[in-house]
Amino acid sequence: MPVRFLRNASELADVSWETPLPVQVANAKPVPADTLLVATTTVTTDANRDLLGSTSTELPTLDGCMQYRKLVWFYFRAGADSTTYRVLARATDHNGAPLGTGWQEIVPATTLPGGANSWGRIEIPASSDGYYDQYRIEVQRTAGSNYNLTSKIVGVR
Amino acid sequence: MSAERITRREMLKRLIVAPVGAAALATLPVREASAAALQPHYEPYFVAVLWEGRTRCDSLWRSLKGDVVAILPTVQGATPYDRLYWTGYALGSAPVNVAMRVWARAVDHNGVSLGSGWRLIGQATIQTPPLRWFRVEIPEGHWDEYRIEVRSATTRLVYSRVIASQGYWKE
Repeated sequence: MPVRFLRNASELADVSWETPLPVQVANAKPVPADTLLVATTTVTTDANRDLLGSTSTELPTLDGCMQYRKLVWFYFRAGADSTTYRVLARATDHNGAPLGTGWQEIVPATTLPGGANSWGRIEIPASSDGYYDQYRIEVQRTAGSNYNLTSKIVGVR
Repeated sequence: MSAERITRREMLKRLIVAPVGAAALATLPVREASAAALQPHYEPYFVAVLWEGRTRCDSLWRSLKGDVVAILPTVQGATPYDRLYWTGYALGSAPVNVAMRVWARAVDHNGVSLGSGWRLIGQATIQTPPLRWFRVEIPEGHWDEYRIEVRSATTRLVYSRVIASQGYWKE
């Protein structure tokens, strides 16, 4: 016995490859991206200075990031002076308090790619998935003069 | 395929008389693609057309939009997309030999570029026999703006469509 379905308000149609059942993609979700941060940082020789300019090591650069599988950090650096960056991450409890002090270093001090007036793109984490609650991204100039680093961080679910 | 017009009352009677069992439903020929055809508001953000049109390629580096103004983007608002696809078709009788390069940049909340210039994220030469399709995948996603440039020693027309896809996960 053929299986029929109501194709529109008053038409029954046999189920076939030409007239398949109207199905809905219910098991897939789009992955929107959110802009989490846009900031300009003066890159100095200060240790532990994050993209927000803070040297308070317990302060996160980004909070509430649990839903993001990955962060994409876009930047434009005005200077070519040698610079390293470091990425720290940690989880928080239901009240938003970190589970403990300090951070997990997920990217050790690494040379920030690019020359003067150049663009860069760094995925955090580079290979695995994120889902940490808080991140702290630090930049430190290791030679030369101060310069401006303009960053944008997009969270990808 | 067959179809007939019936009233709602008649349809209900048939459904009551011949209910479809769960076992039979499992083997019904449904296609995921049919969701797009049958839903008037199929989730449009999975794939979006960012640009389509015709470009006259010559010896200058031109955006697909035809301009040679390096600061202008070819497509904007691409933040949500993790991948772009450029599908094209080149006219002419000679083999296609079109150089291309793809630039990208990020903008702030006001739409102003974070800095000057662009980041070069790829370049290549499209070489095909004449009157063939080609396709370029741009995997470096989530940039806000892209500029796609083409250049050809032999002037020729290229028809293009640039689409962008969001990633998705299956639950």
